[in-house]
Amino acid sequence: MKTASTLGGGHTAASAATGQGGWGREWLAAWNTFWFAPADPLPLAVIRSCAGALLTWAAWVWLLDAEAFFGPEGWQRPENVWRMNDQPWQWSWYFAASSPGAVRLLAGLTLVAALALTFGIATPVTALVSLVGLVSAANRSPLNVFGFDDILGMLLVAVAVGPSGAVLSVDRLLAPDAGASRPSVRANVALRLLQVQLCVVYLFSGCGKLLGASWWEGTALWGAAANVQYRTLDLQWLAWHPLVTNALTLATLWWEVSYAALVWPRLTRRLAVAMAVPVHLGIGVAMGMMEFGLAMLVANMAFVPAAVLRRVLRPVLGSSSGTP
Amino acid sequence: MLASIGLLVYLAAVIAPPLAGPPPASALAVAALQPLRPLVGSLYLGHGYRFFAPDPGPGHSLRWSIDRADDSKLEGVIPDRSADWPRLLYHRRFMISEKIAAAVPPADAPDDVRQRSRGDWQPLVKDVAGHLLARHGGTRVTLHLVEHYLPTPEEVVRAEQGADVVTPLGTYAVVGPEGQ
Repeated sequence: MKTASTLGGGHTAASAATGQGGWGREWLAAWNTFWFAPADPLPLAVIRSCAGALLTWAAWVWLLDAEAFFGPEGWQRPENVWRMNDQPWQWSWYFAASSPGAVRLLAGLTLVAALALTFGIATPVTALVSLVGLVSAANRSPLNVFGFDDILGMLLVAVAVGPSGAVLSVDRLLAPDAGASRPSVRANVALRLLQVQLCVVYLFSGCGKLLGASWWEGTALWGAAANVQYRTLDLQWLAWHPLVTNALTLATLWWEVSYAALVWPRLTRRLAVAMAVPVHLGIGVAMGMMEFGLAMLVANMAFVPAAVLRRVLRPVLGSSSGTP
Repeated sequence: MLASIGLLVYLAAVIAPPLAGPPPASALAVAALQPLRPLVGSLYLGHGYRFFAPDPGPGHSLRWSIDRADDSKLEGVIPDRSADWPRLLYHRRFMISEKIAAAVPPADAPDDVRQRSRGDWQPLVKDVAGHLLARHGGTRVTLHLVEHYLPTPEEVVRAEQGADVVTPLGTYAVVGPEGQ
């Protein structure tokens, strides 16, 4: 994948630069290699499809009670949103919707855009509309959003920035273009943004936990498992196995804290990414936050090598896809 | 060059919000966030990412009771595990009680703290009350915040269960609160 290869490439370029211009040039070369080396767009296309599917589901659920979430007499009135948001910067197209029909129309537009994004139809446009739809929903109803929306926003920014419809899309089926699946700088920028932002998420999530005694004591997971409002899987048996709770808590804590360091070296990357699967699926199954768990796993796919995805998706990609 | 500057600005907008909040946060981080607010707000980047931090606490719900014009009563709870389906819809409604709970001080907080915080949570509760009245009809609605007791492992082993903490949030008519 590009992460491994470009990190290696960056090192080589940087080493060559050292002799010519010193430390500053070395930094510049490394920066340019990190951000602007062309990358295979396949991981971004997979992320686009998954993020589109998650947003489709989210938009459908918003629509189930759209007037309550976005309407003038909703859970939070439009004129009070500033109490929880940074106005006027946190804009929303729902602020302009004064009738139930307009609210449903805008929520429906998000649903249609998300569905189109999933399949890669008119991708540059639907990616943008999907992002606008998500941001509008989140900014209009701050009383109802949670981590899932934060991560979905992060995914959609990357999808909108990069050529996410270059492969695995209806766009490509309708207009075959052998050059579209070639490595591109925009694909690399989008994936790098996602990788760096994911590291920021884990770092602050982990550091925030270091302020809590229960994470140091190894009992925090019990607090989550015993919370009846969250619980979807009965984990009360953990009460009889405190050391298991300790191990699970500490593993989660130290994995989160160290993710931003361990995910970059090739030697530890697999371990860091693999740990995301049990942690996020565990949260999804046990605490009923499957959407959040899946969104985090989709974000982790930014670190999965394109070659691995190409192998997995060979039946879908066919022989024409080739290796860029 | 321009692309690099754009990337640096975007990265600053990603990193500044979790540095600046939630508390504790430095004055420097808060100041650094100010020029980035338009970008942070418009791209929905203003997150702290403190999932289940610093410590996972008890869950909350809002218990409501509506008086109708025909003297009948209608009662409910937000979120409602039996009615709020699919789970994502439940979670979106669960966030209402959690976010209001975050603004309401504990029942044993000093009077002046409780009084000062009223300006934070009462407008939120008033909106929820207004929505409930619009949704179900009725002349007034009474709301209570319920903090569900979080048992320790030892209590579960001994089959003990503590009591939930119930905090009154007031009675609201269509035009506004009637007080607690």
